[in-house]
Amino acid sequence: MTLLLKQLFNFLKLLNSDTGHNQLASGLACGLILGLAPFLSLQTVLVLTLVFIFRIQLGAAFLSAFFFKFVGFLLDPVCDPIGRWVLENEGLRDIFVEMYNMPIIPFTRFNNSLVMGSLILSLLLAPILFFVFRALIIKYRIAVVEKLKQTKFWKAFAATSLYNWYTKYDQLYG
Amino acid sequence: MTDTNLKTEKKIKNKGPIRWEAIIPFIIFTAVIFFYFKLFFDLHLKNLMELIGYHSLGAEVNIAKVETSFTKASLKISGIELTNPERPSHNNLVIGEIRFSLLWDALLRAKFVVEEAAVENIGFDQKRKYPGKVKPPEPEKESAIKKEADKLKEEALEKAKTEYQDNVLGNIANLMSGGSQQGELDKLKGQIISKEKMKTFEESLKAKQKDWEERIKKLPKAAEFQAIGDNLKKVKTSGFNNLDELNQSVKEIQKNLDEANNKIKEINIAKTSLDADIKFTDEGLKEIKNQIEKDIKDLEAHFKIPKIDAKSIAVALFKRYTGPYLGKINHYKSLVNKYAPPNLLKKNKEEPEIQIQPKPREKGVVYEFGKPNSYPLFWIKKTLVTSRFVMNSMTPDSSLPLSSFHQMGNIKGEIENITSNQSLIGKPTIATLSGDFPAEEILGFKTQLTIDNTKKDSQIDLNLTVDSYPLSQKELINSEEIQLSFDKAKGSLKSQLHLLNYKNLTLKVENEFREIDYAVQAKNKDVESILKNVFSTAKTTNLIASGKGILPSVDLDIESDLGGKIQKGFEKEIQAKIDEARKKIKALVDAEIEKQKEAIEKQVKIFKDQIQSEIQKLQVQAEGQKKLAENKTEEAKKDFERKAEAEKKKAENEAKKKVESELKKSAEDLKKKLGF
Repeated sequence: MTLLLKQLFNFLKLLNSDTGHNQLASGLACGLILGLAPFLSLQTVLVLTLVFIFRIQLGAAFLSAFFFKFVGFLLDPVCDPIGRWVLENEGLRDIFVEMYNMPIIPFTRFNNSLVMGSLILSLLLAPILFFVFRALIIKYRIAVVEKLKQTKFWKAFAATSLYNWYTKYDQLYG
Repeated sequence: MTDTNLKTEKKIKNKGPIRWEAIIPFIIFTAVIFFYFKLFFDLHLKNLMELIGYHSLGAEVNIAKVETSFTKASLKISGIELTNPERPSHNNLVIGEIRFSLLWDALLRAKFVVEEAAVENIGFDQKRKYPGKVKPPEPEKESAIKKEADKLKEEALEKAKTEYQDNVLGNIANLMSGGSQQGELDKLKGQIISKEKMKTFEESLKAKQKDWEERIKKLPKAAEFQAIGDNLKKVKTSGFNNLDELNQSVKEIQKNLDEANNKIKEINIAKTSLDADIKFTDEGLKEIKNQIEKDIKDLEAHFKIPKIDAKSIAVALFKRYTGPYLGKINHYKSLVNKYAPPNLLKKNKEEPEIQIQPKPREKGVVYEFGKPNSYPLFWIKKTLVTSRFVMNSMTPDSSLPLSSFHQMGNIKGEIENITSNQSLIGKPTIATLSGDFPAEEILGFKTQLTIDNTKKDSQIDLNLTVDSYPLSQKELINSEEIQLSFDKAKGSLKSQLHLLNYKNLTLKVENEFREIDYAVQAKNKDVESILKNVFSTAKTTNLIASGKGILPSVDLDIESDLGGKIQKGFEKEIQAKIDEARKKIKALVDAEIEKQKEAIEKQVKIFKDQIQSEIQKLQVQAEGQKKLAENKTEEAKKDFERKAEAEKKKAENEAKKKVESELKKSAEDLKKKLGF
């Protein structure tokens, strides 16, 4: 829990800093795949491995996964017919038969219409959302963070000893 | 201030895309998991299995040891003891060891396939080291109170019925002891339900009769039909001079016909209504007759008049014997119902009690892309079952206590193809087991179970035979008047069960008992002596229980030749008394209601005859007048047609003659003109 909270604070800190927009956007995009995929599946393990190995913002990924888990409920009526259509497609039958009887692949649970539909949708949306999130973060930093830093309130707050103390603490232990 | 901050700010290192710093936490995390599985997982799995077993079976489940291996994908469970919830000092089942390993080839395909599993050292009904914990019954839900009350009511009725059946021999003893029922019979006169019913019926019949008398008065009278007839007779039906005359007559007839039709309609409505009332009356009469029969039966039950027939005696004798077995079957049936997948049992989905609940997430459709020779989701190809009886001097190597092994059976058998998809592998599940339990003196035990879901209709067949098993102190009847039990006996068993589509059950269990020593005690010494005489010659007997029906309501039919023997033994002594008692009851009922019944029947007859004949008479009259009107119309039409035809012919002839004469005249003129 502490680790999770730390990651969320890091996410907020990074969001309000000048760097790391790619880390944040990729974290949010990975969260989309995590949110739409079933928890016990190969794709979840793969995405989590990627998130842990590469410098993708964990807090952003978990926050996004949490959000998209709820969106997933609303998208079920869309994902299910997509999955059915793909799985019942005669042209793909041979591939699915092979995949179903191959090692490892069945752990993706691709033979479930909802999982298949969600996977297709998340794989299609993830790259698009990466760029959308990236653009939104940059815009947020200019439109909100920079403007806030120019306000008298922030300047006054930044001059307080409390803020200095926090900055010092962050430099040493953050 | 800002400059100072800038100076103090650390220069942030530009980190690469890979989290190298996470290697050490990852190694630590992996090591923790590894040591958990190495040191604690087996213990926790064992505890979990015991907990699940306790909650699902309702009694303590003990497991001596659980061993798992990740590399071999194997599981070994030793020393399994399932406590008998009805007798916690004993185990229902003891299994020495279960072991199997899963195929990695299938596991990598998310399938669970076992080439060969082993189940060793099986024992039944063994004494435990200490009494097992039994799960207390779950508290009843408030909403189920009414349901439960109904159930209790049903159970009470069933119990009363069973007690009555159970006490057949007790009732015989009672009757043999004598005692007049006359005094009590007189008291019960007022309680005859049919008498009350007849009174109500008679009143409603009288009211109905009165209604009909009124109604008949309002129906068209004979004189009205006569008037229609007279009117019709006056209408001219021949000698029409012109079409107007004919039209006049037809109009007149039609008017009378319409009047007759209206009256017929009225009578027909009354007839339909009468038929319904007669039907209702007949049903009421039938109901009264049934009630009279029921009253007689109730009185017989009240005075505990037994049925001296072999069937009732057999049921009474063996109801208590088969009861515990049926109880066990019901217990396991309820477990199957609780834990088996809903699609397998096609459970009825009841409406949820809580009205507001979150919408459950859709589950999607799972497609199976199987191909020949591929693995089903779950498949145990073969399970070998072995068990060996151990003499006192031998020490086996197992986690179970030594005493358990002295009670194990010599069992050998195998179970083939336990699978989640029989149609994919094309093979049914077949289990065969045979052996003996020397400690319990159970010899020649053979069973074969086939579960076949490869065809359209799933079928389960079970054949079980036991050549010999002991019986001691098996209580058959325990009533105030009689105590009867098998003191000592040997039995053999042959049973067949066929279950179609998990619903249609056919069951036959044949028990042969031999070398029987009975323990008989009766209050009445005559009864005791009769029973002892009967049983002294009945050293062998049988019990055949059979049932057929749709689960869960399958009634068991019990037959035994012992019933016949007891019947013969008592018949001479008691049949006369039973007949006499029945006669008395019948006489009482007859005396109370016979006159009333006869009167009602007479009244019903009068009602039917009188009203029906009245209406029929009216119907005949109405139909007669209608026919007369129709005949008249027909007659008038024919007469007019005849006349019209004659007129037509006459006109034609005249026209013809005229034309001929004109032609002749023209020819003559022409001849003259031409000078011929």
